[in-house]
Order: sequence, then structure tokens, then C-alpha cells
Amino acid sequence: MPETPRPARPRGIDPRGPRFGAAITSVLLLVTAFLGLTSGPAAQTASFGWFAYQPLAGVVFAPGGEVLRQRALDPGFIALLVVALLFLWGVVAPRTTPWNLLFRTLVQPRLRPPTELEDPRPPRFAQGVGLLVTAVGLVLHLLGVPWSVPVAAAVAFVAAFLNAVFGLCLGCRLYLLLQRLGVLGRAPAA
Amino acid sequence: MTIVGALLGLAALLAVTVGVGVLLRWQQSRPRRSIPHEVVEPARLGAERLGDRATLLQFSTELCARCPGVHRTLSSVAGAQDGVVHLDVDLTHRPDIARHFHILQTPTTLILDRDGIVQTRFGGVPSRDVLELELARVTGEAAHA
Repeated sequence: MPETPRPARPRGIDPRGPRFGAAITSVLLLVTAFLGLTSGPAAQTASFGWFAYQPLAGVVFAPGGEVLRQRALDPGFIALLVVALLFLWGVVAPRTTPWNLLFRTLVQPRLRPPTELEDPRPPRFAQGVGLLVTAVGLVLHLLGVPWSVPVAAAVAFVAAFLNAVFGLCLGCRLYLLLQRLGVLGRAPAA
Repeated sequence: MTIVGALLGLAALLAVTVGVGVLLRWQQSRPRRSIPHEVVEPARLGAERLGDRATLLQFSTELCARCPGVHRTLSSVAGAQDGVVHLDVDLTHRPDIARHFHILQTPTTLILDRDGIVQTRFGGVPSRDVLELELARVTGEAAHA
């Protein structure tokens, strides 16, 4: 029977690998959201407003530096930074990420061989989406926007959790949506 | 925010996420039949012709994790029956087709009858059983028409 030929694809990967990584990532993001809610500007909002982050008396003559340092030392910020760096790692070199190594050395040998292999590009694109979301959260936090760390962590958590538990790829839908809006996919994809 | 408040917020987040996941998965397994009447022109999709009895029209993109698996399922379903053709259209460089068929996710699969009229639509990954049932319905209807 006639069948449309498909272009040559990169070597396939076990689809359970990215889902294993997404499960660990979603736990990390949940912890990040918790830290963001209990320790960051969001925590102060409830008690005395985020104006608490305005320069204190001692640093009036050096506005910015001390505030930025305080914001950067926020536990929620540091946790989100770690997750963002892991996303970056997943975009730059997906095969060498800690979760991928852990999956291949400890988990995969105990599972049955995969019934089908997956194109490695979609999970990599999804890591890029995660990087974008967390990076926006980090920048907004440094600019002093309250709730930016927990909200960014929550958005990334929803995507990672749906991928890990339900196998739903929000990144794929986003790709198609952007493409329909004419942002992506007009030029030949790399 | 207090620790209790934060934990409550996280519990709500988790519950909403699980709810969204269950809903999306439920929607994916269901065929949709109320589709505006439309005759698909094979030439527009870059295909020579449609199947004599039915056509499984799949829409994919390059960055689509589930598309190759659905491609294999549809190929084997179509290969097992005479007069049923499987077409896989890559939307990556064809946003015009994506807009025309209102495609918001890949894979999306349409079942066309022998006249090229869209009969059934699957968003997401259809189960093989439901797919074969729908195909039997479409080809059966076409035989009686």
C-alpha cells in the first residue's frame, strides 16, 4: 500500500528516558514552588508587603547592589536557578544530563526493552520551553516582581508533570500553536 | 505565606494538574464525529489520490513525539485492508494546512470516506480498537450509501 516517505530521523531514544527525567524535574519544581512561597517576596507579601525589599537605611547610597544580592540569595531563586541550569544542560547536551545517566545506568537495565524508539528532538524542544519559562521567572524575581519564582515553577511543573504521568507533550502543542501564528517553522528547521 | 498555606497551594496545584491531565487524556481517546461537511482534495495535501474505500489522514510535525508511533499504527491498519490508504502530512512547513483544518495538536487523524468527506476526527493518540471500529463504521456506511 502507498505510504508517505518520512525524512531521515536522528537515532531514536527510549521514550521512557525523558519521562523519567520529567518526573524528577517535576518534584524539583514542586520543592522550588514551596521555597518560593515560604521564603521569597511572596512570603513577605502576606505579612508586610514587598516594600520590605526596598533598600534599608544602611544601603541607601548603594541602591540596587544590596537588593539584588538579597534577591539572588533567596532560597526559591537558587532552587529555580538550579532547575533552569538543568534545563539548559538538557538543551545543550541531552545525553549527558544527570537524569539521563541515572536512567541509562540504573533504571533502563531493569525495564523491558522499549517497544518503540522516539525522535530525540521533541523532548529537547520541551527542555528549551522549560528553560524559557524558568529564565523569565528568574529575571522577574531579580527585578523585584513578587510571586515570579512560585508562578514560573508552577507553570513548568504543570508541563513536566503532565509529561511524566500522562505522557502528554505540551511542548508539541506549543510548537504547533507558534507555527500557526507564523512565529516558527516557516524557514527550514535546523 | 505560612508553611500550611504554601502546602495548601501546592496541593491545589497538584489537583488541578491531575484534573487537566485526566481531561486531556479522556478527550484524546474519543473520536469526534460532528464535523462540518468537507471534501478533502488530495492534490492540496501533495497526495496523488485517496483510498477507494477510506483514507486515514494523519497530520504530523517534525517535533512530535507521538507521531511516529501513530504513523506505524495507521500504516498497519491501512495495510490490513484493501482500498484503505494512509496519508501522513507533515505540517512543519505548511501552516496553511494546519489553519485550514484547525489543528492545534499533532498527531491529529481524520478518517475520510470513499468520497473524501471527513467523517471522524481524533486529536492525539487514538487507540487501535477505537480506530478500527470507526473505520468499519465509515467503510460500512460508504458501502450502503
